[in-house]
Amino acid sequence: MNRGPLYTVLFALAVALVCSVLVSSAAVSLAPRQAENQALDREKRILEVAGLLPTSGAITREVVRAQFEARIRPRIIRLETGEADTSVDVEAFDPRRVVKDPKTSRVAPANAAQVLRVPTHARIYEALDDAGGIERVILPIEGKGLWSTLYGYLAVDRDGTTVRGLIYYAHGETPGLGGEVDNPRWRALWAGRKIFDAHGAVRLQVVKGRAGPPEADPHRVDSISGATLTTNGVTHMLAFWMGEHGFGPYLAGLRGAAR
Amino acid sequence: MSEHVLDPAETERRKKALLDPLFTNNPIALQVLGICSALAVTTKLETALVMSVALTVVVAFSNLTVSLLRRGIPSSIRIIVQLMIIASLVIITDQILKAYLFDISRQLSVFVGLIITNCIVMGRAEAYAMQNPPWRSFLDGVGNGLGYSMVLILVAFVRELFGSGRLFGVSVLPLDTEGGWYVANGLLVLSPAAFFLIGIFIWVLRWFRPEQIEEGN
Amino acid sequence: MLRGWLDRARPLFEEQGRLHALNPLFEAVDTLLYTPGHVTRGAAHVRDGLDLKRMMMIVVIALMPCMGMAIYNTGYQSHLWVGGGGAPLPGWQSALYAQLGLGYSAADPVACLVLGALYFVPQLVVTFAVGGAIEVLFASLRKHEVNEGFFVTGFLVPLTLPPSLPLWQLALGVAFGVIFAKEIFGGTGMNFLNPALVVRAFLFFAYPAQISGDVWVAAMPPDAISSATALSQLAAGEITVADLSFTTSFFGLHPGSMGETSTFFCLLGAGLLLLTQVASWRTMLGVVAGAFLAATLMNVADPTTNPMLAVPFHWHLVLGGFAFGTVFMATDPVSSAFTDRGRLLYGVGIGFFAILVRAVNPAYPEGMMLAILFMNVFAPLIDHFVVEANMRWRRKRYGRGAA
Repeated sequence: MNRGPLYTVLFALAVALVCSVLVSSAAVSLAPRQAENQALDREKRILEVAGLLPTSGAITREVVRAQFEARIRPRIIRLETGEADTSVDVEAFDPRRVVKDPKTSRVAPANAAQVLRVPTHARIYEALDDAGGIERVILPIEGKGLWSTLYGYLAVDRDGTTVRGLIYYAHGETPGLGGEVDNPRWRALWAGRKIFDAHGAVRLQVVKGRAGPPEADPHRVDSISGATLTTNGVTHMLAFWMGEHGFGPYLAGLRGAAR
Repeated sequence: MSEHVLDPAETERRKKALLDPLFTNNPIALQVLGICSALAVTTKLETALVMSVALTVVVAFSNLTVSLLRRGIPSSIRIIVQLMIIASLVIITDQILKAYLFDISRQLSVFVGLIITNCIVMGRAEAYAMQNPPWRSFLDGVGNGLGYSMVLILVAFVRELFGSGRLFGVSVLPLDTEGGWYVANGLLVLSPAAFFLIGIFIWVLRWFRPEQIEEGN
Repeated sequence: MLRGWLDRARPLFEEQGRLHALNPLFEAVDTLLYTPGHVTRGAAHVRDGLDLKRMMMIVVIALMPCMGMAIYNTGYQSHLWVGGGGAPLPGWQSALYAQLGLGYSAADPVACLVLGALYFVPQLVVTFAVGGAIEVLFASLRKHEVNEGFFVTGFLVPLTLPPSLPLWQLALGVAFGVIFAKEIFGGTGMNFLNPALVVRAFLFFAYPAQISGDVWVAAMPPDAISSATALSQLAAGEITVADLSFTTSFFGLHPGSMGETSTFFCLLGAGLLLLTQVASWRTMLGVVAGAFLAATLMNVADPTTNPMLAVPFHWHLVLGGFAFGTVFMATDPVSSAFTDRGRLLYGVGIGFFAILVRAVNPAYPEGMMLAILFMNVFAPLIDHFVVEANMRWRRKRYGRGAA
């Protein structure tokens, strides 16, 4: 059956046309749902680290949405001053994009967390109490572990120093070792620790060996056994993001207001 | 195509198309195809199951589509046409997973997309669907998908149970790091474990079916 | 007397005897005690003209100093910690030791040996029990005699492990190593990987928390003391070589895998192996040369960015498992290369990669095990090229007729 080159070309075009119509219509029709999923996932983690996820009952998208709407308020702050900046649109803010743009970020000073660029602005989340006052704040952090960059959120009480929770939502550490940063038992060790000492220096760190309970040993958290380098990474990123180039000024403001 | 009455020979051929790939001609165990994804997605049953379903759907429908078009496809561009069909199916599957099973699709990351390069899909389209009628090709696709799924799920069962003490994310063997007694076997969570397990599976299969042992040279 | 007893028992295990099914076991006992009726002389197992059994005995004798040191140092380190404010490990070993009433004192060599033996001997027993059982099982399935292949492996395994390793993990590791590194390839002589190292690699990846980090001393640490090996402390930048004593490291009085700590006792073993020509001097020389090459390159490169890059060559020789791996693991005749020039190249590869992993890979402070396993895989390829090169050279020399 020799149908000539024209047939071949037309056949190829026809298949390509049908395929591209199918693929693009699937992509377009499903896009809103996918975007919603991504937002929902972020909202769920923020609620979790803030301790606002319902402990009983199924966690459906409706529950997450309603809880997030009611209790969480995103806000853009200027890192340098720590003050809120309403000139930047909260919804459209894309943290991964702003660090690539020299207009909205700068080269980070040398740091052990291996953060390369710091943004001018950051989106934080305020967790509200029943009366609508700020109960705690959720700050995005990131830094190098052993193999990968860890991305997470740190929840801090409104006193600006007491940690409520730490959660990582993306990393590529070894399962069972560095990957244990996801272990709820290890994450539970963070609640109640203090970031700053009386002089305002960042003291919170992960240490080898037995750290005491938060009341007795406020600045130290036990490391994960066999994951020294990952947990060192955690210490480094806390030092960087809680310091003067990260959320230091903002947290200092909170501490000042609490006093 | 004249298939008004099913003659016994055709029924037999259909049965063979569906069932042979399970044990007699398993794509992973005998043909050793498609094992890259078997390494990556089998640390958990949940991901292995979703991956299995995704692959089965893709092979079945790519076989069906290729078979329907088989008389029209110019042989000079048949591989490209097959690839185009497979790629479209994979992208659509991936989009659906992202929309409806977001959490799992994030864990599967690129591996759904990589079904495009999975040799089972291309292999069946080229070797079977190009020569056989649509319905039988579809069954062959389902059969090969199931053969792949069976190995994947077996491997994932062992890896999740002994590697993290869970099945479908539910704790079965309480871990020592979470207050239980079971010490998780970290090797099973690493990719090479899937190689060992597939090796054992092939070993056991050939124990019972010595005819599958290849001649040494 | 024993001979007579064995000879009288023999008919029971022969073709018509009642216990024929257990024949492999009988053979194993018989040949272990006495030289077998027929020994391997040809090229069957080791591609070498030596009696396999006598070779193995020599290796085990060469291991004796290391074993003694392993027992002593295991006890010594525990005593140091308990004496320094730590506590004995919870477990039956400590309970039994308390019953003996020897007390904890690092200065008392008897106490050190007894406590060390309480950790070392059970590991040895478990290794031989599990490994032996699997050898017998496979020999029965395949209907051939149990050979002595596991003999040396059994002694090597516990020497590469930390004293505090749970025995059930050891049992699992030995089972995995013997089955996957040896039996599936057809048994002793057919394995291309060193089985003892496969056991260790299995445990290293399966139960990393029990074989890396702070596990090297069989005691609970006094506050703020790390039991991490000198290598991992160096890699983490917690210490520099200036904080270590070369003599202590050389004689091996520091924490580590039980048998690996003492370069001195490994050298004693090396002496015997070289004198009897059981191990290849080319392999050992190659390893040292490869290490020298890597360490020197790193020292020259840029030692400021990574503390491990600055560690001088001679320190690499006395830290971690370098000496033990060079003397007893790299030279395993079955899994190493077997041509002369091949052995040299194979050794250089091991030494080079071991130091490379030590310095450059952030997760693994010790690279010896991985380097040897890696080069095991390449050994047949190296031999192939050596033989090819040799053939080309001969052809050139003797003209075309030789082919």
